[in-house]
Amino acid sequence: MTMTELHALLPIIVIAGISVVLMVMTAFFRHQRLASLITYGGFIAAAVLVAGQTGSGPQQATPLLIMDEYSRFFSLVILVTSLAATMLAYDYLRRSDVFKEEYYILLSLAVLGAVVLVSSNHFAAFFIGIELMSVSLFAMVGYMVQGRTRRAVTLEASVKYMILSGVSSSFLLFGIALVYADFGVLSFSGLHSLLGLHSTSSYSQIGAAMIVVGLAFKLSWVPFHMWTPDVYEGAPVPVTAFLATVSKVSVFAIIVRFFIESGAFRLEALVQALVWIAVLSMLVGNGLALLQQNIKRLLAYSSIAHLGYLMVAFIAIAGSNLANTNLAVEATAFYLVAYIVMSLIAFGIITTLSSPERAEEAETLAHFRGLFWQKPGLATAMGLALLSLAGIPLTIGFVGKFYVFAAGVAGQLWLLVGVLIVGSALGLYYYLRLIMEMCKAPDTEPAISREETPLENRVVLSALGLVLLVIGIFPNGLITTVHAAVAVLR
Amino acid sequence: MVDVALIDHVFILAAILFCLGLVGVLVRRNIIFMLISMEIMLNAAGLAFIAAGSAWGQPDGQVMFLAVVTLGAAEVAVALGLTLLLFRRYQSVDVDNLKELRG
Repeated sequence: MTMTELHALLPIIVIAGISVVLMVMTAFFRHQRLASLITYGGFIAAAVLVAGQTGSGPQQATPLLIMDEYSRFFSLVILVTSLAATMLAYDYLRRSDVFKEEYYILLSLAVLGAVVLVSSNHFAAFFIGIELMSVSLFAMVGYMVQGRTRRAVTLEASVKYMILSGVSSSFLLFGIALVYADFGVLSFSGLHSLLGLHSTSSYSQIGAAMIVVGLAFKLSWVPFHMWTPDVYEGAPVPVTAFLATVSKVSVFAIIVRFFIESGAFRLEALVQALVWIAVLSMLVGNGLALLQQNIKRLLAYSSIAHLGYLMVAFIAIAGSNLANTNLAVEATAFYLVAYIVMSLIAFGIITTLSSPERAEEAETLAHFRGLFWQKPGLATAMGLALLSLAGIPLTIGFVGKFYVFAAGVAGQLWLLVGVLIVGSALGLYYYLRLIMEMCKAPDTEPAISREETPLENRVVLSALGLVLLVIGIFPNGLITTVHAAVAVLR
Repeated sequence: MVDVALIDHVFILAAILFCLGLVGVLVRRNIIFMLISMEIMLNAAGLAFIAAGSAWGQPDGQVMFLAVVTLGAAEVAVALGLTLLLFRRYQSVDVDNLKELRG
């Protein structure tokens, strides 16, 4: 390995370093503040390193990983998201009576997996990244079962997630094995001249389908979405915040790279199946969200719907017109960023309002009734996030949805665009219902604690709220960045 | 180069193993058996990698198999931890005890 390769890999080494340092530290003495500061410092250092390399051109580090503008952009997004999610979790963890340092170890391992995943252009790195992330995630969901504040649903959620994650990895692996058997290459670009071109045999067609099924589980595309609401509800809410953002976005980022670089869009039957998955995701996600009384389940179904919207742009990439393809990739990347900002605010607020001492989380409508009168700052941020999820103008969610819509129209995907409109209309109802609930007069006995919101949470939530509004009003900066980031995918 | 017909046979065996494992995960209610079935699915994929690697005369298939085995060990380590928690709470390893979430 040369020095330039080592330099390109430095951010990944730093993130791996965080978990090693924390593991050694935790073996000797436990200190949550110190562990959290090491984690913040590591994420910031890695983000600065990634940002410093921006613009230096693509760098293939070993045959497995590529550091180009696309992977740098998504590494940066993942690192900043993880930093925000860790800061939001600090106070929740401090008040609970479980082991706290393990959260930071597992989280930095999951981030390591996510960064490896978005940087991979070879099946081996792709597989290692996705598994490093999933195994850390199901440990994160499950380990807080112990302790006084145990919730029975947490154990159930972690067992379900573990089984389904294992099954989906097996599908993914078997699919990779079939594609490998057909072509004898494991790198994405090596497949480009092979997949879908010469009379593609049944091996690689079944293989590509199995890879998509494996990834569909991780992305909770309908009909592989059954675990999502249960895991979102059962997992401790700081873990849900991380699961809903980083794991979804990194897998989506890599599926876009995989499809473009391997030429999998040429498999017409697969693209046709993706269209139906997208239609079902948008309809089932929005339809079932209407029936939910639990906010975490509601957000789970809404995330299924949002991944359906993302698929509209994703499928538009398959078009033959190059300009439209670029537009569609940009729309996907932009919407992913918008989705992170919106979800992180929503889950961040549930984290802030939850009280682990009472073994309950602020997840029912009662917790939100009259929030505007009790905690106006938090309620404003939650209102903004919900308006943005609904796609109201002046928010990042509107620009993102408009972008996806434009990509769908340019690709002439009329069915998908129609369902996108119907889905958004349904979505408006349940998001606004929650806002109405927050505006009502408060109950005499409020369900949430009266404690002051911790400084960390206030800073992170205001920063995210500001991003949501500023990019919603002046989207040009992010559009230019995204444009430069996706230009390398050919 | 290995006989191509042989590769097809190995892949049929791998597919049968994979389906057996999948059925096992779906119908078994004992978490230990579900984990064993998951291992069978993973190892079916591993077998497919070995066969494909030998057909192409490359070491890549065996490297992937090592990665699969490592993953299986890591997954089972966490899964057995969860199994212990399950057993402590319900005095059984039957996943039907877990039915509070309406999935």
